[in-house]
Amino acid sequence: MKLSPANYAAIALTVAGAIALSALNWSGRPVSVATVGSMLVVGVTLGSIYAVSASGLVVVYTTTGVFNFAQGAMGMYWAFVYWELRFNRNWPAPIAIGLVVLVMAPLGGVVLDRLVMRRLRGTPLVLQLMVTVGLMLGFMGLAATQWKGDRGRNAQPFFGRTGGFELLGVNVTWHRFTTICVAVLLAVLLRLLLHRSRIGVAMRAVVDSRSLTSLTGANPEIISGLAWALGSSLAAVAGILIAPESGLVVELLTLVVVDAFAAAAVGRLRSFPLTFLGAMVLGIGQQFIRSFLDFPGGFSNADRALPTILLFVVVLALPQAKLHIRGTAAAASTRIRRITPLSDAALGGLALIVVIVSWSGGLVPFVDEWTGTGVNRGVTMMITAIIMLSLVPLTGWAGQVNFAPLAFAGFGAVMFLKVAGDSGQAWGLVMAALLTAPVGALMALPAVRLQGLYLALASMAFARGFELLFFTQSSVIDSGAGERIASLHFAGWQLDGRGRGYLIFLTIVFAAGVVGLIALKRSRYGRRWMAIHDSEAAAATLGISLVETKVIVFGISAAIAGFGGALFGIQQATLNPSQFTLLLGLPIVLLLVVGGVAYPAAALFGGVNTILFIVIKERLGWSWLSALEILGPGLMAVAMVVNTRGAVTDMGRAFSPLLPWRHDARDQFRLEHATEREDEVGELGLGRPFTRDHVNDLDRQLGIVDLIPASRPTESRGGL
Amino acid sequence: MALLEATGVTVRFGGLTALDDASISVEAGQVTGMIGPNGAGKTTFFNVMTGLQDTTTGRVVLDGRDITRLSVHRRARRGIARTFQRIEVFDQLSVLDNVLVAAEMRRRWDRSGPQPREEAMACLERVGITQIADLSVAALPTGSARLVELARTLATRPRLLLLDEPSSGLNGSETQAMADLLRNLTEDGLAVLLVEHDMSFVMGLCHRINVLSFGEMIASGTPTEVQSDPSVQSAYLGTDHGAVR
Ligand SMILES: Nc1ncnc2c1ncn2[C@@H]1O[C@H](COP(=O)(O)OP(=O)(O)OP(=O)(O)O)[C@@H](O)[C@H]1O
Ligand SMILES: [Mg+2]
Repeated sequence: MKLSPANYAAIALTVAGAIALSALNWSGRPVSVATVGSMLVVGVTLGSIYAVSASGLVVVYTTTGVFNFAQGAMGMYWAFVYWELRFNRNWPAPIAIGLVVLVMAPLGGVVLDRLVMRRLRGTPLVLQLMVTVGLMLGFMGLAATQWKGDRGRNAQPFFGRTGGFELLGVNVTWHRFTTICVAVLLAVLLRLLLHRSRIGVAMRAVVDSRSLTSLTGANPEIISGLAWALGSSLAAVAGILIAPESGLVVELLTLVVVDAFAAAAVGRLRSFPLTFLGAMVLGIGQQFIRSFLDFPGGFSNADRALPTILLFVVVLALPQAKLHIRGTAAAASTRIRRITPLSDAALGGLALIVVIVSWSGGLVPFVDEWTGTGVNRGVTMMITAIIMLSLVPLTGWAGQVNFAPLAFAGFGAVMFLKVAGDSGQAWGLVMAALLTAPVGALMALPAVRLQGLYLALASMAFARGFELLFFTQSSVIDSGAGERIASLHFAGWQLDGRGRGYLIFLTIVFAAGVVGLIALKRSRYGRRWMAIHDSEAAAATLGISLVETKVIVFGISAAIAGFGGALFGIQQATLNPSQFTLLLGLPIVLLLVVGGVAYPAAALFGGVNTILFIVIKERLGWSWLSALEILGPGLMAVAMVVNTRGAVTDMGRAFSPLLPWRHDARDQFRLEHATEREDEVGELGLGRPFTRDHVNDLDRQLGIVDLIPASRPTESRGGL
Repeated sequence: MALLEATGVTVRFGGLTALDDASISVEAGQVTGMIGPNGAGKTTFFNVMTGLQDTTTGRVVLDGRDITRLSVHRRARRGIARTFQRIEVFDQLSVLDNVLVAAEMRRRWDRSGPQPREEAMACLERVGITQIADLSVAALPTGSARLVELARTLATRPRLLLLDEPSSGLNGSETQAMADLLRNLTEDGLAVLLVEHDMSFVMGLCHRINVLSFGEMIASGTPTEVQSDPSVQSAYLGTDHGAVR
């Protein structure tokens, strides 16, 4: 890999920053052979686990082109299975390990490949991201359902807690020694497999060209199955090795391995040696912080935040993405392009308000609990929907992936607390939105350089960074001080954050937000956003500045999320850092995309589903479904491989022909059902059935132009 | 002086030299052609001129100003517009909105002329596709989509128009109409540079023709000069369909 001067500068700056931070926060604990040695032993062990997990990511990515966000969750799940067999049922260790690592995990990988991953081929990146993130939540939900509660499960280290050997005066336990050996062995084996063996070479070739691979005689289907089997096994190894060190807790184990993303990013998701290096830097760096540095209160998470920071730095140091010229595949039908008119949006909003008012007023028989929890659920639903709205212009229209909406919302909540927490004045909401907008614009900076997957990773790092380093500051959220946010003062009313008035207020806000967004979509800004989504290259050649456009859309998105966050603050009355974690933000993104990220109606769909899972759990009393809030969204996102359009799209298509004034929808419906069979023609890249002109055109392209007399005038709809 | 001068442009992709010290100049009020066998580097040259591709060496000068280091959108604002060989339309937008987005943007640096919407309609009219204004562009056949792209470039009021294989996907009458339109545009003072494989189209339309082969500009001159150039004939023998007559 060649490094540019800018890369060297970035590295130098990072190292200098790290040294300065270390000097400033030096704990003064003694530096001796023993302390450094024990730091190294623990750090290298940790690094080894990161390395194993990250190489699973790399194997799957190089072979199938899919970045598996679920890698960590899979490792967590297999660690639980191992624990179940080994410690709950007391099977001998070799059998338990063999069964999990060599049989169950690879089989699981193959099944995943067959059922899910294979269908992702050629789908938009957003979908691939959502499905693997959905899988991550799915595994977490599954584990939390199968193994309820944190009731002190412990996995014993291999060969016992004590024992081991002395090295430079430091005791190296056999477990740690094993971990390091396993990592080194796997690194060597993987390198040999991918670079020396025939199957490995074929594996690396698949992602570049499937058809070429089949020419070499290898079957791409088998190879991608193999990659997933291998990736899953590597996840299992990492999970089993880390469990005794970190304990068996679903979120903790998942996140430990999420940290391995940073290591894989160092290797640009492709290089094993660099991934290994990144993993070691991470492991030793974290242990160095724990051993020798003392960060003041709000930064006490510095060791856990290190992977996030590394991920952010590495992703930013990547070379700027080139403007991608991708070419449009010609489809074959005539469809009137219709953007929802404002009147329809307003009508929909009114209908929603009427429904909510009557529902919360007890006029609908289904609801018997219009006070207390019922209304509070409604409030949660509406606030979630408003936060989801923030992603509609950003991800739906401008195509910018963002996994950090909850970080923006949290920022907005904090701002509201600061500017209007005591009084609850409504202008505080506007201030919260305005103050959050610049944070969004900040997030646009990586977005200008990055596209697709790397932007997704950067936004995750952003969310996790906020979770670990920002919300934890006592100057930001002082959970101990018991600061309370007053109920909302609006136009002479005082709206309690859990009351019916607040719910109706939120509904009106949501409806207004939808109308406003539709107005934006129909404005020049909306057109510009959709233009950069569809082709950044073409947009730039029209004079559209990508920087400016992205900064604006990120700013607006963050403002909406910040507004929603402030509303959330009013509902909650008190804030604490655990309300705004990365993991809590993921279902928000997933459920919106499941609904259809380009449609404001999907936000309502997402909001409804958010509380639906809670209500189902309670009403049916299915205690065995204890983790439905994460399992549900996860599975729904995975199910998107079957319906990639999003749920509300189909609902809209089915419903709109029923509206009396939607003649166009009825015409479209008829047209679609009449033309369904013509699709075959489309494969030739021609939009209509073959005409004489098409034959001539093909002839000309094939170079037999002179054999045919000049073409005659024709019917042509799109003619000059 | 020529409107656009690109001199000594070299582009390497790994070991492959896509452009090797290539130069070209484009005059206002003329149609200039760039031809060459597949993979000769024509599209790459367009990318260099529009800023989508960095160069190892070389300069691009527009109207006396060096624009080599300008970003894509700044070059566009100085009057360079282009179409793409593999069509790049905005799928989420209607035909009209595809053009409108360009017309609206143009008013950022040039506020003269009609309102964007009227201007967009005028551009559709000029290429003759007003009747499909409301259709979704994702559903159009290749020929119509090409015309949408052309209308979209016109909405930026370019001084230099780069067209990458404008007639591919068009039928005979559409090709004829395209040639007429391009002639019209140059009469208004526009400079057109086009890449084309359809030799009768190129020879009939262009004032000057440049021939690119394996990244090198091997010939340049009037259609007659180029056709009789022996190096051009050998470059084409066996690689293209011997269409240089
Ligand atoms: N981004 C890229 N990376 C690597 N190689 C490239 C890239 N773009 C183009 N090339 C190579 O550069 C050479 C020139 O390509 P270019 O597209 O400019 O040719 P062209 O003259 O437009 O051909 P055609 O007539 O087929 O359109 C080709 O060999 C092509 O494979
Ligand atoms: Mg080309």
